[in-house]
Amino acid sequence: MKCNQIKEKFSDFLIGEIDEIKRKGIQEHVTVCNSCREELETLSAIWAKLGVLPEEQPSNNMRTRFYATLEKYKKSLEQEKERFHLGKLLVGWVERWMPRRPVFQFSFALLLLVVGLAAGYFFHSSWQRGGEIAELRQEVLQIRQIAALSLLRQESLNERLKAVGLNSRGEQPDEGTLASILRTIGSDTDIYTRMATLDDPYLFPGFSIVKEELAQSLSEQTSPLVEVALALVHHIEHLK
Amino acid sequence: MNNATDNHLMEQVRDGKVERLAIIFERYHVMLYNFFLRLTYNRSLSEDLVQDVFIRVLKYRSSYQGQDKFTIWLYKIARNTHIDYLRKRKDIVLLDEQLDKIASQEPLPPEKAEQAQEILRLSQALAKLPLKKREALILSRFQDLKYKEIAELFGCRIGTVKVLVHRAIKELGKAYLELSGGVAS
Repeated sequence: MKCNQIKEKFSDFLIGEIDEIKRKGIQEHVTVCNSCREELETLSAIWAKLGVLPEEQPSNNMRTRFYATLEKYKKSLEQEKERFHLGKLLVGWVERWMPRRPVFQFSFALLLLVVGLAAGYFFHSSWQRGGEIAELRQEVLQIRQIAALSLLRQESLNERLKAVGLNSRGEQPDEGTLASILRTIGSDTDIYTRMATLDDPYLFPGFSIVKEELAQSLSEQTSPLVEVALALVHHIEHLK
Repeated sequence: MNNATDNHLMEQVRDGKVERLAIIFERYHVMLYNFFLRLTYNRSLSEDLVQDVFIRVLKYRSSYQGQDKFTIWLYKIARNTHIDYLRKRKDIVLLDEQLDKIASQEPLPPEKAEQAQEILRLSQALAKLPLKKREALILSRFQDLKYKEIAELFGCRIGTVKVLVHRAIKELGKAYLELSGGVAS
């Protein structure tokens, strides 16, 4: 055998995982090859020397810690089992009350549905009777008007345009909102905002002050586009 | 004495009889402790790592299938525990420093001075090996694992393990010679 093939078997030789034929082959080779003999001797010496490293014993603390951890884990498992047991009891209780035959199960489910619907209807009507919905609607309206007012005062053209129509859902605006709208039509720096504000549908539910203010505004407008739009608004109102 | 096989005990632990882990602990905690001790040279750290291994055994008990030999499965967990520790710890004390500390702290009784010096030099030489070579050598020399089992543990071929062990011993010899004041060939 060549030196390389012999050296490949050195680790097997050291650990003892080698058959007799291979062992003899190595031993015969090293008697005639100085290089392989020296390497095997060095390896064997250091392998044997490692035997002086003693097996150490851990402290008793390690055992104590392990048993404490195990105990804690066992307890958590038992608690989990108890919870599972309670769950099973509940399921068992429900099962006891549940009819066996499918037709009765269906009837029972139907009954539960009817009871649920009736209860829902009852609570819904009592809630409506309380006038809470109307109250909520009023609050939403107020919030919308505050938002519109705030947007009309913004520097940004986009923000002011957003305000148009925000609080118009057919409800009557309060005086502050109305004044703010009319002020926008009369004096906003941007003509498109003025025109868009004119389209606000809640300008026309018959407020005399609106008509007067719009007439006043017509004489003060500088933009022909806004003047035409205002004139059209007046004309439509007269037709009504 | 309990004669149940490791595999059977671990299957019982998996199926809920967690108290059976105590028998496994008694069988293997010293072996694991020495494995970690030869990797880290730190006693309290090695105890922590053994503790961590058994916590992981409990945590992953349901995944135990029993296809591997039990010790291979246990060593897989032990290696992962050690690797995770190395990743997490930024302020890791170098092994050499740890050994120097031991050498300076422990006064040596005169009658055992020579042997103690030998142990220290060997440990220092061992600490100089790269982790994988050190693991291969420790597992084959001290933990009595066959090359086939180490290959299974490392996820490589048996030939690779043999080469690793061969090179590890050569490098160890060189480092030992240097530490003894000789000249490495």
